[in-house]
Amino acid sequence: MLLVRRIALLAGALVLMIVGTREIRALRAYRETVVVSAALTSQIPLSTYFDGIKATLMDAPVYVFDSGVPGGSVLLIGGEHPYEPASPVATYVIMENITVTRGRVFVIARANMSASTLGMLGNAYPPFFRIKTPWGEKTYRIGDRETSPLEQWPDPFTFVHYPSTQNLAYQDSRNMNRTYPGRPDGNLTERTSYAVSEMIRREKIDMTIDLHEASLGYPVVSTYVCHQRADELCMMASMILSAEQFPMKTEVSPKSLRGLTHREIGDFTDSFAVLMETPEPFIDKFVGPMTEALMLTGRDEFMQTAADRGLLYADYNMKTGASLDYRVGRHLAGAAEVIKQMGEFYPAKTVKAAWPTYGEVMKQGIGYFLHDPAKADPRRVFLD
Amino acid sequence: MILFQAVIHQIYFVMAGVVALLLLTRLFRRKTRPGLTYDIVYAYAIIPFVLRALHIK
Repeated sequence: MLLVRRIALLAGALVLMIVGTREIRALRAYRETVVVSAALTSQIPLSTYFDGIKATLMDAPVYVFDSGVPGGSVLLIGGEHPYEPASPVATYVIMENITVTRGRVFVIARANMSASTLGMLGNAYPPFFRIKTPWGEKTYRIGDRETSPLEQWPDPFTFVHYPSTQNLAYQDSRNMNRTYPGRPDGNLTERTSYAVSEMIRREKIDMTIDLHEASLGYPVVSTYVCHQRADELCMMASMILSAEQFPMKTEVSPKSLRGLTHREIGDFTDSFAVLMETPEPFIDKFVGPMTEALMLTGRDEFMQTAADRGLLYADYNMKTGASLDYRVGRHLAGAAEVIKQMGEFYPAKTVKAAWPTYGEVMKQGIGYFLHDPAKADPRRVFLD
Repeated sequence: MILFQAVIHQIYFVMAGVVALLLLTRLFRRKTRPGLTYDIVYAYAIIPFVLRALHIK
């Protein structure tokens, strides 16, 4: 009788395992489709710049749009923190619609591919979200903040940032935006950051723009965070955006906050390092159910209560929320404006590139700018 | 350095498998705490170790 009971309990655990991991396995296996614009000149693996990440899930594809006309060069990094989805989605909208008439544009949509293949431990949110388009729905992964333990495990007791030796939290050893400028013989996340840094150095990238999202209870929201060499560009861009389109602040990267792109890319390469944050209610800790609807609309009654009590660092109105269209539109306009300012301040570094504007995305929705892979030229369809 | 990291990484997966096996044997063979509650705990606690050893989660 005892044996039967224990076998039954073990069978129950197995059933739980099989049923409970269906979504986990689906998320790990799913790849997003992108129909890249005709301006694409090449697609290369990130390991081209450092082979220490070759044959790993971190070897993200790099999309290159080269006008062939001398000018500046820009790198757009999406998906360092996949649970901030306006970042990769903004890079997809750019990649699908970009035209470049001067200079070069490099795009990495899923900088931390591994982190996008798992959900955050303890946060009950859906693995995917869907965007409506004129031809159907497009599905994207939400993901976690850090590299999956399946790729990098165990964590250290404390993470010692290289080369500053600053002690960071243990999980930051898997947080790509705490591991810059990277280390060629470091852990997998550090090696990936090193590959990005190497790419910036070898390609002589003039400006690196890292796309993120922030909770509204975090002071650095709706903000450019810029290395001190790029502060004037960011301040001009934020003034213009705030006057003409939406509120945008500028913060200069703190010198004691180590491992982030806006600090280390600026210190260890010649690139102007810029990081952008949009307001994302989905990742605030005091919102209601973390559903796909919250991800897409950003409407939440608890967020409104916090706003009414003056607890937020960005404007918030539940009627309009902070939709994915709004957040992606902010990234599109934020990147375009700061690139424009680089050309104004340094004419030799001018990059002339166009993609959907904030106004167009707010009017038509993101889905309007995402193309049907079934009807596209197969040579322009890629999986990320 | 990278080789050491890879070896340690794989050792941890093996360790997860060993812990899963240990829990499995203790589910069926143990001298103390024979009650239903502990049977449930042992059966349930196996899950994360199996998932990690199989590279699922």
